[in-house]
Amino acid sequence: MSREWRPTPASRERLPTHPEPASLVDILERVLDKGIVVAGDIRVDLLDVELLTIRLRLLIASVERAREMGIDWWEHDPTLSSAARDLAAENQLLRERIGALEAGSSGANRRDGHDGATAGTAPRRRKSAE
Amino acid sequence: MNPPAGATWVYALSRNLGQAGLDGLRGIGGGQVRALASSQLTAVVESVDPGVFSAEKLQDRLTDPADLELVARRHHDVVVAVAALGPALPFRLATVYLSDERVRTLLSERCDEFCRALGWLADRTECGVKAWADPDALNRARRTQPSARSPDGQLARPGLADHSGAAYLARRRAELAARAEGQRLAARCGEEIHASLVPLAAASRLHPLHDTRATGEAGLQVLNAAYLVDSASLPAFAGSARAVAARAGACEVAVTGPWPAYSFADRPDA
Repeated sequence: MSREWRPTPASRERLPTHPEPASLVDILERVLDKGIVVAGDIRVDLLDVELLTIRLRLLIASVERAREMGIDWWEHDPTLSSAARDLAAENQLLRERIGALEAGSSGANRRDGHDGATAGTAPRRRKSAE
Repeated sequence: MNPPAGATWVYALSRNLGQAGLDGLRGIGGGQVRALASSQLTAVVESVDPGVFSAEKLQDRLTDPADLELVARRHHDVVVAVAALGPALPFRLATVYLSDERVRTLLSERCDEFCRALGWLADRTECGVKAWADPDALNRARRTQPSARSPDGQLARPGLADHSGAAYLARRRAELAARAEGQRLAARCGEEIHASLVPLAAASRLHPLHDTRATGEAGLQVLNAAYLVDSASLPAFAGSARAVAARAGACEVAVTGPWPAYSFADRPDA
């Protein structure tokens, strides 16, 4: 969902009594990371999928914005969508490096208990982006 | 080994749920979603083609962004439909068994645990609260408060016209201090919102914060949490969340839900 930046406090409202179609990030966060975990008979490595969703968070923001404008051609082209995925990963890496250079290595916006998963996946992200 | 004869995709667990409520509901494979009963528990399942839903093919589907979205949304849609009928324990995406019998075995083995969890979730729903803050704005607001301590306030001003190295370094130090202070205030804003909402909820879970550099949103995400609240008090809770976020200085808040209790399914009493 696009969220326009507005300078006034707490201007954005989403009333639970009128649920919007849930945003993909919110859904993925729940169906991949939450819910009952039992060992099914068919093993799927969700770690790979979770890694993907971290990259997707970058992609999704622009995907949803584009979709609102009626642009969705990449969805029918698997080559393009995986190319976009790689670009997204590379873009993310670059942003992280820029962020690290600007902020030093202090990671000042990280907070204990909140972003452990994000921090924890950084090495895997680097590995997979080679 | 022979190829598996069938595959059963599990969406959620509920109690005493009949097939009637599920009629017409289609699942991930396009098939009718079924109620699979075992004593008091009902698993909501779909028979899927084991050739199409083999481990390898499923892995491929889930690592393709477009397919992942499709599968995730369809799974979610069924879980939402089940949760609308009564307390439901959502299963993590891609929980697949080779037969209905294997699902029944799971239900009978862990019946007590699942029944306790469903009892705990009855008449409750999950509410998502995300909040964003602008560290610079928080910093400015704090400096204009006369009562506030201002450790770097005196460093910010001197020597704007002074081109000496010492003045440059002083300005640079002041900028870094201001940035660190903004980050600290933003973090505290998230903590304040969360601390105010915890007493209003039966339980809460903190999710990883989204990196706004990745999502393209302005500001910093300072809270990404789920709260388990009484279904009847959801609108009031949402109102409190917005009020508390405004008071804590958040520049934006998004309250989402009602969600099936995804965030509270696995460790119900934690």
